[in-house]
Amino acid sequence: MMRQAMRGLLLASLAMLCAPRAAVQAQSPTARIVRDANAFLATLQPAQKQRVLFAFDDDKQRARWSNLPTRFVARAGLSMGELTPAQRTAVMTMLASALSPRGFEKVQQIVEGDEVLKKQEHDNPMFGKDLFYVSILGAPSETAPWMLQFGGHHLALNITIVGAHGVLTPSLTAAQPARYEENGKIVRPLGAESDKAFALLNSLDSAQRAQAILNYRVADLVLGPGQDGKTIQPEGLKATAMNAKQRAMLLDLIAEWSGIVHESAAAARMAELRAGLDDTWFAWSGSTTHAEGRSGTAYYRIQGPALVIEYAPQPLGGDPTNHIHTIYRDPTNDYGRKLTSK
Amino acid sequence: MKRVLAATVVLLLGATTSADAHQLDEYVQASKIAVARDLVRVELRLTPGVRVLPRVLGVIDTDRDGVIAPAEQRAYADRVRSDLTLAVDGRPLTLRLVALAFPDLADMQEGLGEIRMDFEAVVPAGRGDRRLTFENHHLGDVAVYLANALVPEDSAIHLGAQRRSWEQSSFVLDYSQTSMVRLGMRHIAEGTDHLLFLLVLLLPAPLVAAGRRWDGYAGARRSTTRLLRIVSAFTVGHSLTLAAAAGGWVRAPSGVVEVLIAISILVSAVHAIRPVFPGREALVAAGFGLVHGCAFATTIVGYGIDPWHTVLTVLGFNVGIELMQVAILVVTVPWLLSLARRPVYAPLRVAGAAAASVAALGWIGERAFGLANPVGPVVDAAASHGPLLVAALASVALLVESRVRFVSRIQPFVTRR
Repeated sequence: MMRQAMRGLLLASLAMLCAPRAAVQAQSPTARIVRDANAFLATLQPAQKQRVLFAFDDDKQRARWSNLPTRFVARAGLSMGELTPAQRTAVMTMLASALSPRGFEKVQQIVEGDEVLKKQEHDNPMFGKDLFYVSILGAPSETAPWMLQFGGHHLALNITIVGAHGVLTPSLTAAQPARYEENGKIVRPLGAESDKAFALLNSLDSAQRAQAILNYRVADLVLGPGQDGKTIQPEGLKATAMNAKQRAMLLDLIAEWSGIVHESAAAARMAELRAGLDDTWFAWSGSTTHAEGRSGTAYYRIQGPALVIEYAPQPLGGDPTNHIHTIYRDPTNDYGRKLTSK
Repeated sequence: MKRVLAATVVLLLGATTSADAHQLDEYVQASKIAVARDLVRVELRLTPGVRVLPRVLGVIDTDRDGVIAPAEQRAYADRVRSDLTLAVDGRPLTLRLVALAFPDLADMQEGLGEIRMDFEAVVPAGRGDRRLTFENHHLGDVAVYLANALVPEDSAIHLGAQRRSWEQSSFVLDYSQTSMVRLGMRHIAEGTDHLLFLLVLLLPAPLVAAGRRWDGYAGARRSTTRLLRIVSAFTVGHSLTLAAAAGGWVRAPSGVVEVLIAISILVSAVHAIRPVFPGREALVAAGFGLVHGCAFATTIVGYGIDPWHTVLTVLGFNVGIELMQVAILVVTVPWLLSLARRPVYAPLRVAGAAAASVAALGWIGERAFGLANPVGPVVDAAASHGPLLVAALASVALLVESRVRFVSRIQPFVTRR
């Protein structure tokens, strides 16, 4: 009797020790995102649920994103401002699951930046973190394709999940102010995007620079919102004309966008981008210098067989170093088309 | 008074902050240029910033009634068009408006309205290396220009260097295009199924049908006449449907056409083993030629944008097809005729026809029923070694011939009867 009880106790404690660990290990990133998405959906009232859910093939909702404030380009879904604190936490938990730690931090810094902008503009009701929207296309699933959208002014995340795949294209990250203070610390949501690009530019020799630097001005994103499915002829310096160190720097710069999504999806994406590196181009337009600790005023573009990145400082607000638009696309796989068509 | 002042301050603040949200004093004009064989499309996207809107609206809303009437939209598109110039090889082209969309005036007042204008221009026939120049001088004092070439949908167009003025108002694009004749040649050289059909149909041409079997050699003259008749009939057939489809008079569903092509190979392969339609090969070749022509047409559909271009396109493409066809016949037929005179031709013919049947069955399963095609890769691999196959055929023919010669030469010394 005593021995049986002891054995039971031993087994029970062993089970308690092992079970959580086994559960954590068994959880794939997709399973984790699905769990957190379902947890978010469970917090919603039926009417809210109806507004947050869209059909997976709703092309209109897919393309309903912009760099512009939500007042000008109305977003659908649920805004953070109309959610309860518990619901907002559920949204953020879901995002944290879908993104890498740095990606999640970047998104939070962009959202916080819009709150700073709101305050700078005398509580302008057009801006602020309440005006970011969440929507889900399709039903969260570990096998069937579905999509998670989060965005507002200066942010559009389109995350298509198909089984183990996580596709972040097309997505838009932008910032105004591009540099602000929070709790005594300087925050630059898109700082690395400028710093790493300048490091790469400065590593180029004069012949490489002559190819990379375009002799014309690019004032805006060429493949911004509303330009789905377009592929422009690449220009600039081809990665085949870069040395190993410069190629690594280029990949590291690209990772500022490709690394926003969760690690295993980012690793798969990076492998694809590495495979297409020889056909990847780096083009620069504008000033080749920048003030220490500040972003530059130049436009640049990285384009490969499965990649378009554009970085376009905006003169708006009087200081282009403080207002940045960027776009991240995969002309072969925007919205996960490559995985879902057929 | 105080209240009015406060309200004014709020209004002003509201106005400035809202204006601060987007492009202010610029009129962004983005052009995307799509080059096709005989058509250039210019997709223009115009976004006036709030501070330049009065200037832009002054040009659009000519009667100043605060409404952009359809007539004003068209008049503005005309005005924009007159500020654009497009030329290929130095020849100015006429831009034709093909799409026009205006946003709501309210949106434009917020600085985010995007005016969409698509223009198209017919490019005169030309060949080889070409140079496109595009200029946009619309409202240059406030404009921010973007000009880019889109990656062509047509793989026969290759874009080269692009040059722009600093503000991108002037854009030069070098490009080259593969000639229609070359495209036609490439189509046959890479179209394994077309080739296979023709070759298999020719297999029994040098033979005499004796009831339900193929018998001996029909003689050089008869064989050659027959071959020429079959090839000409095929040419007439595919030229007819190619022209008809390119002209838009015939539209065949490509799925059905692809299956019929596979069936045509199977039919001619069976005929090569046992006569199915002896003496009517030319008729069958013409009939199946009609089917193959429909498939050829899919390559050039959309090329002919007016009757003249269509005629040139079909003519060039067909010349290419015939040239390649003749080239292939010239390198294969002599060996076939040579082998046909010998007994070894029977097993060779049956083996060739059997192989073609297997390939055809694979395609039929794949195209009609969506089945996996295990022989597809083998056929493609074999086809990509065309010259090697011809060399093999030639060696067999030469080997057989030299053996026959050798045997006939030593005949007098061999007493065996």
